[in-house]
Amino acid sequence: MSRFLIATATLLGLTLGAAGSAQAAEPKQVYDFYCAQCHGIDGKGKGINVTKDFATDPRNLTDSSEMAKRSDEDLRGVIKDGGPSISKSALMPHWGSTLTTDEVEGLVKYIRKLCDCKGK
Amino acid sequence: MRLLAVTVSIGAALLVMTATPSYAAGGDAIFKKSCTGCHYTDGPAKEKTIAEQLAKKGPELWYAGSKFQKDWLASWLQNPKPIRPLKYNSLTEKNAADHPKLSAGDAAAITDFLMGLKSSEVKAGVIKPAESAQARNIYAKKAPCGGCHESLVNGKPAGGKSGPSLAGASKRLNPDWIYAYLANIKAFKPVRDMPDFASALNKKDQMSLSAYVATFE
Ligand code: HEC
Ligand code: HEC
Ligand code: HEC
Repeated sequence: MSRFLIATATLLGLTLGAAGSAQAAEPKQVYDFYCAQCHGIDGKGKGINVTKDFATDPRNLTDSSEMAKRSDEDLRGVIKDGGPSISKSALMPHWGSTLTTDEVEGLVKYIRKLCDCKGK
Repeated sequence: MRLLAVTVSIGAALLVMTATPSYAAGGDAIFKKSCTGCHYTDGPAKEKTIAEQLAKKGPELWYAGSKFQKDWLASWLQNPKPIRPLKYNSLTEKNAADHPKLSAGDAAAITDFLMGLKSSEVKAGVIKPAESAQARNIYAKKAPCGGCHESLVNGKPAGGKSGPSLAGASKRLNPDWIYAYLANIKAFKPVRDMPDFASALNKKDQMSLSAYVATFE
């Protein structure tokens, strides 16, 4: 019983700790919450929204040769201003008024991990 | 440890006390007993982080009286059909269609209670349901609402699955609330996986889009 209590307390502490620093939420948590619905948890572009009605496939973020053609500034721009800002599909929404600058920065780094590539 | 035992027995006593027959109780009392485990009704929004949103077991209802149409609410509570294609807060599991069902009497009492929960963000009588080519274009192409929301196309659900289905919005949602939600989503949901369209769409577009969604069968 007491061991269980301690385990629970530890877990709670961990969760609270995570929430406490949530002003700059973990990039993976941010990605999974906002982006995975279309790009998929694994980044391959097959999220739950991508049905036969979905006109343009979300970019496969693990495609290193494609993603290496984008600079970090390109990624920042499309995340903030959406697909149309770079003449791509509006199915890629603008997230600039939803995410903080830090969250966008975290996402750029996270995408670089997914593609295992550097920007041009 | 002893404290725990005391707490548990007080809890048990409380449970016995509140388990009075519900026909005698008002909607708020029934709600407290059966619904607060998953829904909160005291605004403003409590969830400020992704973790806090993900910890919720059901949607917040503190602005229910501004959001829903009364007739829809009373009948849905007796016969709750899935609204979100997916389980709440999940991007993988399907909605299990297991929402608690209420008797007609309890549903009416709770409906009265919930319809009293208004938000001052919502101005009445601004949006009249109406279709327009402009709104249809924003919905399908410009803002891709359909990328995340289902609606009926030729009688069949079509569109994305991460958002609540908008099929039946004409009976379910208050048109004025839809507009308030697009114009100032942060007031209702500081943390949600829908983008904030308050500045991306101008006021006229927000109004025509709300009027359009309010026609969805
Ligand atoms: C509603 C679905 C949807 C959501 C949600 C979404 N995206 Fe996209 N995204 C797309 C689509 C579709 C494309 C492809 C656009 C095209 O190729 O025309 C895309 C493309 C991209 C690109 C590549 C642009 C390029 O240069 O080719 C990046 C980077 C990206 N998304 C990042 C993100 C991030 C980060 C998030 C979460 C904050 C996110 N997306 C959320 C649908 C979505
Ligand atoms: C076990 C958790 C749970 C309990 C208990 C519960 N609900 Fe819900 N409720 C949910 C979930 C999850 C949804 C979303 C259902 C869907 O999208 O199909 C929901 C949806 C609703 C909605 C529609 C809200 C919206 O934004 O779509 C109303 C109204 C509602 N519940 C009222 C009640 C009432 C009244 C009770 C008590 C009799 C109750 N609920 C008990 C989990 C719960
Ligand atoms: C990236 C996905 C996404 C896009 C794009 C999107 N939504 Fe949403 N929408 C959601 C999600 C997710 C929710 C539920 C938020 C919550 O309650 O946690 C939602 C909620 C809503 C609701 C409230 C529904 C309810 O019953 O609570 C309305 C109305 C709505 N969206 C309309 C729109 C319109 C109109 C557009 C286009 C301008 C749009 N959405 C674009 C994902 C999206």
